[in-house]
Amino acid sequence: MAMYIRVKRNKTTYFIQCDPTETILDIKQKLQNLIDQPVNDQRLILVATGEVLDDSKTLADQKVENDCIVALTLRKDDNEFEDVNIIRPDDFYQSRDADGGLNW
Amino acid sequence: MKKEETVKLISAEGFEFVIDKKAAMVSQTIRNMLTSPGSFAETQHGEVTFPEISTIILEKICQYFYWSLQFASGKETEFHIEPELSLELMMAANYLHT
Repeated sequence: MAMYIRVKRNKTTYFIQCDPTETILDIKQKLQNLIDQPVNDQRLILVATGEVLDDSKTLADQKVENDCIVALTLRKDDNEFEDVNIIRPDDFYQSRDADGGLNW
Repeated sequence: MKKEETVKLISAEGFEFVIDKKAAMVSQTIRNMLTSPGSFAETQHGEVTFPEISTIILEKICQYFYWSLQFASGKETEFHIEPELSLELMMAANYLHT
């Protein structure tokens, strides 16, 4: 196995095994098997840069490296893509911190 | 990559990690669940819930599984562990026989 990327949406993370020479389309096809959403309804965004990844380019071309986090967004009913939404576990603690009034 | 070849690990807070079965089987505990003939309910749905393992730790564990596969195939890199995670991570590793 050459590398893997972490594809995240809401509370779910998909670990996808891949190779730097694979294209984004290849990755979307792998995702299609897992989430039953056609490739055309998927958009992948490299979280570190906020860049929307291009289907025809390879992972290496777009600096997607091992262990990178990629956001998945899906096409909504009105044909637009939803915004990036990744819930992080720390979000659970924010309200508690606010109540306690602790500032660190 | 087929759906049947993956397994979903669910953390205490309900976050889901979908990983290859092959990677999950780095853990002896998960391997036993997935391969034992008694057929755990977990095996059939391909889902395992860990109510004691927090999301941050479970993600680290999944990263470790993949790192371990890479290491076994000859790619020798270091696995970075944040010091503040180490205690919880060790407890989880002990539980998972990893």
